[in-house]
Amino acid sequence: MPLYNFKKIAVVPSAKDFIDIILSKTQRKTPTVIHKHYKISRIRSFYMRKIKFTQQNFHDRLSQIIQEFPKLDNIHPFYADLMNVLYDKDHFKLGLGQLNQARHLIDNVAKDYLRLLKFGDSLYRCKQLKKAALGRMATIMKRQSPNLEYLEQVRQHLARLPSIDPYTRTIILCGFPNVGKSSFMNKITRAEVDVQPYAFTTKSLYVGHTDFKYLRWQVIDTPGILDHPLTERNVIEMQGVTALAHLRAAILYFLDPSEQCGHSIAEQIKLYNSIKPLFNKKPLLVVCNKSDVLKIDDLPEEKKRELDVFKESNIPVLSMSTLTDEGVAEVKQQACSMLLAFRVENKMQTKKLDGVLNRLHVAVPKARDEKARPAFIPAAATEEPLDEIITDPKPKLERDLELELGDDYMLDLKKNYDLPEEYKYDIIPEFWEGHNIADYIDPEIFEKLQQLEREEELREESGMYAVPKIEMDETLKEVRELAAQIREKKAIMRQEARVVKRPGRPVMPRTTTAKVRERSVSRLKSEMSKLGVELEDKPDAGYKRTRGRSRSLSKPSAKKMRVDSEGRARSMSRLPRDVSGVKDPVIRKKLKKAAHKAISRKVGKKGLKGEGDRFIGTKKPKHLFSGKRGVGKTDRR
Amino acid sequence: MANRIQFENNNEIGVFSKLTNAYCLAAIGGSENFYSVFEAELAETIPVIHASLAGCRIIGRMCVGNRHGLLVPNSTTDTELQHLRNSLPDSVRLQRVEERLSALGNVIACNDYVALVHPDLDRETEEILADVLKVEVFRQTVASNVLVGSYCILSNQGGLVHPHTSIQDQDELSSLLQVPLVSGTVNRGSEVIAAGMVVNDWIAFCGMDTTSTEISVIESVFKLNEAQPSAITTTMRASLIDRSALVPCCLLSRQLGYKTTTRPYTENYTLKVEIHHTSAYRFYQNCRLDINWSYVAETSDSHG
Repeated sequence: MPLYNFKKIAVVPSAKDFIDIILSKTQRKTPTVIHKHYKISRIRSFYMRKIKFTQQNFHDRLSQIIQEFPKLDNIHPFYADLMNVLYDKDHFKLGLGQLNQARHLIDNVAKDYLRLLKFGDSLYRCKQLKKAALGRMATIMKRQSPNLEYLEQVRQHLARLPSIDPYTRTIILCGFPNVGKSSFMNKITRAEVDVQPYAFTTKSLYVGHTDFKYLRWQVIDTPGILDHPLTERNVIEMQGVTALAHLRAAILYFLDPSEQCGHSIAEQIKLYNSIKPLFNKKPLLVVCNKSDVLKIDDLPEEKKRELDVFKESNIPVLSMSTLTDEGVAEVKQQACSMLLAFRVENKMQTKKLDGVLNRLHVAVPKARDEKARPAFIPAAATEEPLDEIITDPKPKLERDLELELGDDYMLDLKKNYDLPEEYKYDIIPEFWEGHNIADYIDPEIFEKLQQLEREEELREESGMYAVPKIEMDETLKEVRELAAQIREKKAIMRQEARVVKRPGRPVMPRTTTAKVRERSVSRLKSEMSKLGVELEDKPDAGYKRTRGRSRSLSKPSAKKMRVDSEGRARSMSRLPRDVSGVKDPVIRKKLKKAAHKAISRKVGKKGLKGEGDRFIGTKKPKHLFSGKRGVGKTDRR
Repeated sequence: MANRIQFENNNEIGVFSKLTNAYCLAAIGGSENFYSVFEAELAETIPVIHASLAGCRIIGRMCVGNRHGLLVPNSTTDTELQHLRNSLPDSVRLQRVEERLSALGNVIACNDYVALVHPDLDRETEEILADVLKVEVFRQTVASNVLVGSYCILSNQGGLVHPHTSIQDQDELSSLLQVPLVSGTVNRGSEVIAAGMVVNDWIAFCGMDTTSTEISVIESVFKLNEAQPSAITTTMRASLIDRSALVPCCLLSRQLGYKTTTRPYTENYTLKVEIHHTSAYRFYQNCRLDINWSYVAETSDSHG
């Protein structure tokens, strides 16, 4: 991601659009209805709001523009200079300054008219004041029209500037026009710069990227430079000069010994000398291009001597041909390694390096014992399976399967189990009869089972489980028989009861006479006596006296009649609610009093007659029940 | 050989996989892309196994293992354990451990011979570790981080440690572990090394963000492709110096007004705001924010 991104500056509208945008926004976002009979303060604030809103929008929009454009003093000098060359620093600053001025003026206009509005005494006058205020603001903006146009052009151009990172590893290509800078760029990067056989094909800076030594290198192609004084240079040349001047990069100075570019070697060396100050303290490489046309060795002696300038100042001269690719890689390699060495040297001098020194250190172990700790690499991992690839097709991967089957694909976890084929898909439940299977997994389970079985056998053999025979005498036999009969009878009785209780049987109506109870002591006695069991009336037998359901039988009262508190006998039916749960009449009276108090307080507060008072003031309010009814309209009047 | 992969658009592949010399575990994801990368490279040599632990996909951080065995946390379910047992070769011992610091992958770093463990690890776990994995155990910190399993990764041939490890510490650790060590990063400057890559004695996998410099450091130190660790100090030295102009990310972001990531440092000013779909990953991320993440709480099925 580039550090400088000028692509996000918002569009600068033309003056006319600007005014339209703001005024229509005012129209849309402020209230629009006002009448002359409204209170004058309301009318005033209505128009004040309009003015304030418009002013605020102008202000915000202008601030945004001023803010978003880069400040030449704050950005990298390369970009500052480039912008100066391309858009003229003074013009740019003036443009933004004037916008700032316009913002102030608009603020002042708004202030003045707000003050005047306070004295507006009618709707008409207020409206005229508002109209005047907005009109003046619009006029101020209209005067900024050329400014806004200029800034919009600058914005569009800025957005199209190549994103050059001024701090990264950079290689700059420079030289006369037509010496093959762009061709070289196309060889080592994928920037696809336009290459044509005429001068100044490249009219601006181009950026490409190349890889070398695990790193990414930025390559900048500059437009050709002609040899004349700096002041006479045009915008196209100056872009290259700014790049050379401000970027700490490796510089490739391109020479064309074949002189096909239209400039003699002497001229090219003269240019080199004149722009030499720009190469100061930077890794520099001279590249003699077009070696397919003319090699350096084939040059005439006097021209060769001209090239000695470079040898004297220890600048490497390489030859290459972008046409035949001869020497291109060497040039790239040499340039990159020179720059890398240069950057590393610079970094070594700063303090920053301390932080990364540990990352350059390989800690080699000192042997602490005699134990060998070899790597474990299976033979299959190292051998090259070249023959296999040729003979059998690639094994199918899960992914291939997934793509092939589409929605039908199901991940088969059991496929690769390290088990015999017939066991692989055995279903083992997680829980079985409430037990977690995993808790019972035991590799020695079969041995343990065998051991237990053996013990069991031994026990059986020793006669541990032999049942002793019991002698049966007469009485015991009789008791047993009787018990069996009782049990059978009981079972029958239970079943009968179940039959009677079965749901779905007809329901007895309430009017029928009560059925005589079947279960009774007498019946039990008779049934049992049939079986030969005599049940005498012993006091400890525990039989209760049972009675039928007929009312005639008198019953001794379960409790004594209460005579103490109530004064009269009450039925044993449900107690009234104010009595139930209350201990005695004293408490009851107390509670009654408390309840009365609570109710009367509530009632008194609302002015009701009593607890049951749900007073409705007007049962039929007149406005709801009077007037004419139209056709089919009963609900609205 | 080092490969770049992603798990569902996520570069922290060490979280979702575990690689040893005898087996490879891969999380069960939405598609088979992640698994099949391992399968294509390894299936002929060692078993590549789909696995989940406690219903979570973050298996790489939950378990620890080498060629001798595999330790899984207490929260592993019985079915998962059975699945692992059925898939692993018989020579690999599988053991569930009762350890409070249940993110075993974060608290233990090991190869086939030695292990570095969190200083607070249980004695009992340490014994099990020595017994099952057949390793010598050392209680140590890496760059004063107790989460040795996160900040250091080992194979039998070499090791990569947290980028802030001092030279002295590196030498000390290297002598303990008896492998060459280098400090470095993965995934374009991430210092959580073990989360960003997995490695064994002949192959490495790292996150898609890993730069070529990082890859070459990894290949050299783990001696993959016949590279040697000495290359780091010789041929790669210049690239490393030039690359490692670290800019504190938070500072940079304050200047530029971008959102910052959890990574405190970054190379190349790359700032990324990732979108994490899975709750498991969010959970993991949150844990990474407060760095003391050494255990995984009981998690629900939704993480699976």
